[in-house]
Amino acid sequence: ESHTQYERVGADVTMKCGSMDWDAAVTWTANGTDIDESHLNGSYLILKNVDLSQSGQYSCYEGSSWHLKYQTNLRVGTPPKEPVLMCRSNNYPKGFYCSWHLPTPTYIPNSFNISVIHGTKDMVCEKDAVPKNRCHIRYLQLFSTVKYKVTLTVTNPLGKNFTTLTFDEFAIVKPDPPESVVAKPVPNNPRRLEVSWQNPSSWPDPESFPLKFFLRYRPLILDQWQHVELSDGTSHTITDAYAGKEYIIQVAAKDNDIGTWSDWSVAVHATPWTEEPKHLTTEAQITETTSASTSSFMAPPTTKICDKGAVVGSGAMAVCWTAGLVVAAYSVLFI
Amino acid sequence: SPTGDSWGIFTFLCAALCNLPALPALNCSEELGAGQSIQQTYDLTRYLEHQLRTLAGTYLNYLGPPFNEPDFNPPRLVRAEPRVPSATVDLDLWRGLTDNARLAANYRAYSRLLCYLRLLDGQVGTAELRHRLAHFCASLQGLVLSIGGVMSSLGYPLPAGPAAPPAGPPGAPAAPNDFLKKMDDFWLLKELQTWLWRSAKDFNRLKKKVPPAVVTLRLEARGF
Repeated sequence: ESHTQYERVGADVTMKCGSMDWDAAVTWTANGTDIDESHLNGSYLILKNVDLSQSGQYSCYEGSSWHLKYQTNLRVGTPPKEPVLMCRSNNYPKGFYCSWHLPTPTYIPNSFNISVIHGTKDMVCEKDAVPKNRCHIRYLQLFSTVKYKVTLTVTNPLGKNFTTLTFDEFAIVKPDPPESVVAKPVPNNPRRLEVSWQNPSSWPDPESFPLKFFLRYRPLILDQWQHVELSDGTSHTITDAYAGKEYIIQVAAKDNDIGTWSDWSVAVHATPWTEEPKHLTTEAQITETTSASTSSFMAPPTTKICDKGAVVGSGAMAVCWTAGLVVAAYSVLFI
Repeated sequence: SPTGDSWGIFTFLCAALCNLPALPALNCSEELGAGQSIQQTYDLTRYLEHQLRTLAGTYLNYLGPPFNEPDFNPPRLVRAEPRVPSATVDLDLWRGLTDNARLAANYRAYSRLLCYLRLLDGQVGTAELRHRLAHFCASLQGLVLSIGGVMSSLGYPLPAGPAAPPAGPPGAPAAPNDFLKKMDDFWLLKELQTWLWRSAKDFNRLKKKVPPAVVTLRLEARGF
């Protein structure tokens, strides 16, 4: 006869050779390889402090005839730890979904059971085919005062565990990030970038449940983000970009009134329009001022003062340097 | 400061509206589209929702455990006559509400919620709590007025309601003991919170649907 046997990591396992007597002469194999007699106590196989590598097919043969007397598939694993459960409504007001996972693997098969209670009512959370470990529920009523209680139980041959989440309808609303984020330079505007995006496709009714958006952008060379919050519309023009610098831009969404912000969208990169060919002096002066400050309104004035054709003799240069010093002193205030 | 403004509003409102429901033609200083009034009403619900968070926290602490525990999730006791109007509604039904029905539901709900909140006022412990409640009631009265204003400007009749705050909750039996009375208070605050969340959505829908050309009278309500 053959069957499966589950044991905990670190346990001591004693395997009997079926119905054979203790003092019978037997040979044990593990995955086809003979096991040394030192592991035997009579005809019993003793495995102390088992580890994962000892999982496998164990067979016991009668000494002289080599008849197969017993076979077992040993699976070493752990009972489940408390599972991690998350519930979220990314398609309000249609419903919500819950997804779960185990914080550490058990190495043996687990089964999950999820229950959803709303007040006194039991609701069915329909399991998704893909991804696994996820189920969804449709709201029957909207604007409920009673909380939802979701209990997830995980069971395997070595034990069980569970976790519970209790929440209000409004608390779990979190849209998916905006889609199709596009950022383009604006012709003849060296400080502008036009950003546009779309509502996440999972949000079913943006007319009645409008989203608001949060845009963040920064030049790649700086760490600090600029932020803009937009209460409607799916586009925005950045008007204070540093000329010639590549920008990274992201957008997030939130229901206008309830819930939390989505994750940030996929980042897009864009560089404002520049005139061809670039002036080298302009480049150098911009680099100088951007490294001196993180404030956004620093760059152009210095450039203009020093760049115009009248840089002749030390007088004009003194004006240049003075302007630079004033700007540098001003920018120190903002560091 | 909120104190000065709220007492000013309170006095003004009390003087103007002892017995409801018809809106007097006050302060016709400007004419605005109904769209603007809806926006103002929407803004008011957001302000009240924010105010309620602080008020509810303070009041539930006054009620004490288990009411102030974040996990407190009691079953809803079914009363013969539901004490406060519930915001809960079937999704398709909510979507299909006419503008009139949508506004009327809000108007009725807040009128009654205001009545019950006022009943709390005389019973609560600290002066600070009484002050917060009074401030909130004044703002809530402003919301009722604002909704009434939108309805009138769109030509809808105001729903009939209690002419004056009732002596006791109409129809519903008084709670038999202290704990159940506290439960009533708990659910009152919960329903109020849910209504404010729902109203934001109601007024979003109304914003989209009301034609901007409708002209209305605007009440001069100072700095809510």
